[in-house]
Amino acid sequence: MRDYLGHVWAVAAKDLALEMRSRERLVGMGTFAVLVAVVWSFSLDPAVRPRSVAGAMIWVTIFFAGMLGLGRSFALEREQEALTGVLLAPVDRGAIFLGKFLANLLILLAVEALIFPVYGLFFGIGLGGSLGGVALVVGLASVGFVALGTLFGAVAAHTRLGETLLPILLLPLLIPVVIFGVSATQRLLIGRPVAEVMGSVRMLAAFDLIYLFVCTLAFGSVVEE
Amino acid sequence: MWWKNEEDLVESMTGTWRWASGLAVLAGLGVLAAFWMIFFYVPTEASMGVVQRIFYVHVPAAWVAFMAFGIVALCSIGYLWLRDERLDAISVSAAELGVVFTTIVLVTGPLWGKLAWGAWWVWEPRLTLTLLLWFIYIGYFVLRGATDNPERGKRFAAVLGVVGAVDIPLIHVSVNWFRSQHPQAVVLRPEGPTAGPEIVITLLVSLLAFTLTFFALLLLRYGLEKLRCNAEALRFAAESTRHATPVGGGVG
Repeated sequence: MRDYLGHVWAVAAKDLALEMRSRERLVGMGTFAVLVAVVWSFSLDPAVRPRSVAGAMIWVTIFFAGMLGLGRSFALEREQEALTGVLLAPVDRGAIFLGKFLANLLILLAVEALIFPVYGLFFGIGLGGSLGGVALVVGLASVGFVALGTLFGAVAAHTRLGETLLPILLLPLLIPVVIFGVSATQRLLIGRPVAEVMGSVRMLAAFDLIYLFVCTLAFGSVVEE
Repeated sequence: MWWKNEEDLVESMTGTWRWASGLAVLAGLGVLAAFWMIFFYVPTEASMGVVQRIFYVHVPAAWVAFMAFGIVALCSIGYLWLRDERLDAISVSAAELGVVFTTIVLVTGPLWGKLAWGAWWVWEPRLTLTLLLWFIYIGYFVLRGATDNPERGKRFAAVLGVVGAVDIPLIHVSVNWFRSQHPQAVVLRPEGPTAGPEIVITLLVSLLAFTLTFFALLLLRYGLEKLRCNAEALRFAAESTRHATPVGGGVG
């Protein structure tokens, strides 16, 4: 078990070290997220109060920025056949998946930590006094999103269409996360108590476990050569 | 290859065609009977009027579409486990029919909805679930078409089939979380059907006809997939002989 977690962390550390040196995904996703906020500001009718659509705006931004980064995760491994080297390591395929998943999750969480202050600044959306609640909901929804996204990012990277294919495969499967994640975030942002979204939190946690389990198992079939 | 030699292939194809044509005849008779019942036998429903007759096409198509997805899921799991080409052929055939029948559901539903609800589309759980099922099927084919290596395409499609099968119940739970506007079941209820006997009989005949049609088409499509793979194997063999032969010694 300890070895297994060590392997997971080794793969994640490799990806994070790569990201820390190039910063290409953080910069790309972060800039994209801020630009989406600018687009929102021009596309909303002045009569619409941003607070009443905050959950939707923030999550559309997270999903699109996230897919940008997830597509990159395995496209990088394909350059110079880097993935072959990773697969040659005497490590369980599940551990490789969880390592990639963890690195992707941490990068997405970093971008989310930027998105919330930016929307707060541009649209005056406060956290409704429950930072912990929002962090919990966003974190859980991100786990499900990144689990599916890492698996299908690996699939898409091995096709001719590449990153174009990722949203087509990912979005229909992602609807459970969208429904519970967005509605719970919206309620917290308009100042409802955390107790009101506990049902959604439990559902998200259950979905996360299912997605992680299935995707970890399925990853072995994706990368075998 | 799932056949040993040409004779084996011809023999198994003859078997497939024989079953498929038998089923197709039965399905044709079933569809004729079902359509006669829908237009002449079953009385017009009192509250919704004549538009309610679309129900006898809509519900069986939905049943077949979801059954097709079940077959895709089971065969995908089987393919990843056993790597049997036949399972992949069944899987791709069922998925193709799944797209056709899901499209029938998505076309007949709004036709009825426009008159009954006054809107072509509402974001209601069962509609949303069917639409997402349709998108997952579309993704399945885009994915297969986008891989250069056929073996990899089969593997990826099977992974999508398995993950989709796990996800469909989760999507069902989540979309139900919104209030349902869809008509409630009138036939399959624990307390027994609330609809009249003519309605129940017509629906059952129609369900049977659609199911027979589905399996007849599935067998035909399966036979076609087998021929397609054979043609591909022959082309591959012909090309490799040509490349292996030195210049001037053409094989033709």
